[in-house]
Amino acid sequence: MSLLRFEDVRQSYGAEEVLRGISFEMDRGDVEVVIGPSGSGKSTMLRCVNRLTEVDAGTIYLDGEAITTPDTDVNDLRRRVGMVFQDFNLFAHRTALGNVTLGLEEVLDYPREEARTEAMAQLERVGLADQADSYPAELSGGQKQRVGIARALAMDPELMLFDEPTSALDPELIGDVLAVMRDLAEEGMTMLCVTHEMGFARSAASTVSFLDGGQVVERGPPARLFESPANERTGEFLERLTSLHGGEQ
Amino acid sequence: MSTEAADEPGEPATARGSVGVELGRRPLFYAVLGPFWAWLVVRWVHDWVLAPELNVTARETFFPTASLVAAGTTLRGAGAPAPVAGLLDWLAGGMDFVALGVEALPQLAAGAWATIVLTVVSILAGLVLAVPLSVARVYGGRAARYPALAVTELIRGTPLLAQLFVLYFGLGLTQYVREVPGVGVAVLPDTAVVVALIGFTINSAAYQSEYIRSALLSVDSGQLTAGRAIGLSKVDAIRHVVLPQGLRFAIPGWSNELVYLIKYSSLASFITVRELFFRAEEIGNATYRFVEVYTVAALFYIALVISASAVMSYVEGRVAIPGLGGKGRR
Ligand SMILES: Nc1ncnc2c1ncn2[C@@H]1O[C@H](COP(=O)(O)OP(=O)(O)O)[C@@H](O)[C@H]1O
Ligand SMILES: [Mg+2]
Repeated sequence: MSLLRFEDVRQSYGAEEVLRGISFEMDRGDVEVVIGPSGSGKSTMLRCVNRLTEVDAGTIYLDGEAITTPDTDVNDLRRRVGMVFQDFNLFAHRTALGNVTLGLEEVLDYPREEARTEAMAQLERVGLADQADSYPAELSGGQKQRVGIARALAMDPELMLFDEPTSALDPELIGDVLAVMRDLAEEGMTMLCVTHEMGFARSAASTVSFLDGGQVVERGPPARLFESPANERTGEFLERLTSLHGGEQ
Repeated sequence: MSTEAADEPGEPATARGSVGVELGRRPLFYAVLGPFWAWLVVRWVHDWVLAPELNVTARETFFPTASLVAAGTTLRGAGAPAPVAGLLDWLAGGMDFVALGVEALPQLAAGAWATIVLTVVSILAGLVLAVPLSVARVYGGRAARYPALAVTELIRGTPLLAQLFVLYFGLGLTQYVREVPGVGVAVLPDTAVVVALIGFTINSAAYQSEYIRSALLSVDSGQLTAGRAIGLSKVDAIRHVVLPQGLRFAIPGWSNELVYLIKYSSLASFITVRELFFRAEEIGNATYRFVEVYTVAALFYIALVISASAVMSYVEGRVAIPGLGGKGRR
């Protein structure tokens, strides 16, 4: 059974329909990369999965269970679905370690010491154990984002959502974050990633979706979609992306 | 990326002013404030612990003024020629001035205690009320937002003195207060004090909730989202993520409120609370030397205000977090 399934999901802000019937599914361990122009609804699509945004029609299933129903336990859903933000959103008043322990202590009810141990293990995983006592303002963008990933991983999620995790980063810092994401993918984490890092998509993605105007215009394995896009709009978008980024890394 | 810049809170639009906040950091002032507080504490301990059987007006000052007064009399009676006599007269007047000020000190010390208690208790109790009020304003649904708004505007829109009068004369709160255990004995010697505390607490809660509200609004909205995204309930996310940041942003406004409350607490004299201003007025009425005694009382207020500012600077420094407001650590 698929881990995540969208079934004709629609969402509007006022009169503007942002998601216009999204359907797809991904299996446990899949890495789905979503690409698409700005405003095409990529963020909205991710936010529907953990109910930061409510869908207007259609259903999203997590592990076979509808999660867009009124009686879904939203807090529990969010515990099960980790999210990594474009602009990090680290808790500014807490150290790197404190960012990771908050959910452990307040959501999972870990005792203080155990939360600390677990959080250190997560920071270790993203290569930041030595920055445990730094505040967000004292970290580089790449470090912040890795703390953001550790914070989400600490909740032991079944699915991770990444919303352009590297697009706020200086180019030289992107690599560290992508490396952590690659490791995660190799460990078998199920990941739904909005990213325009085509190198990452090529090497880590099981499937790439091209979203435009609130619809999945084209979907397929990265090699096929990048080399021979079937849809005209996909081709145009990829061309612009390549010229903008100056090719692959 | 944008978080550092976006988090910077503006000066809250509701600030009543920023008097004294700057002064609190100069070492020179500690040289004056140190002895002032040392004397004040010794005075309180002496008057209420060591010699409680005397009433305040009977209390002797620690600094005898007899020689000063005598010197003044001598100068006046010296019979010097005209221009010199004028100068001597003027000197003698200065000595009388100081003498009266010094004689007023024991009573003003007692009044300062009441002023400090009124201020500290009201600001802290006000904070306890202001936090839920401001959270209701910012994050509450209609049912919470509008009542909170109404209460805040009602209190901020009417004079504090009128509020005290309503509590004291209008509602006759003293009757009920007298029933409360502890009132009338040493802890709360005076029912009027309790009424004043209630009035100041409510008033300060309204102002503080405005400071905190604008501080909460300056917390980046992504913070709450991130809190919710790890599974925190809205209340928990506000409590553990938004409030710790918002309350830090509110410290400068809060310091102003503290400074204002010190001065506004003098309004309690209108409902017979024997705080600093009341004592000064009492002495003035008895001696007709209003200028002298009000000058000394003003010095007391200035000392209290600067001390409060110094304490708040210290607190602000202690809770400062890199990148999150605070002084010099941005
Ligand atoms: N909170 C919101 N209120 C109103 N419109 C929104 C909101 N969030 C997004 N939108 C609109 O929805 C559309 C899709 O936004 P988004 O999902 O953020 O796109 P993307 O992430 O692909 O750039 C955009 O046109 C945007 O203006
Ligand atoms: Mg987006």
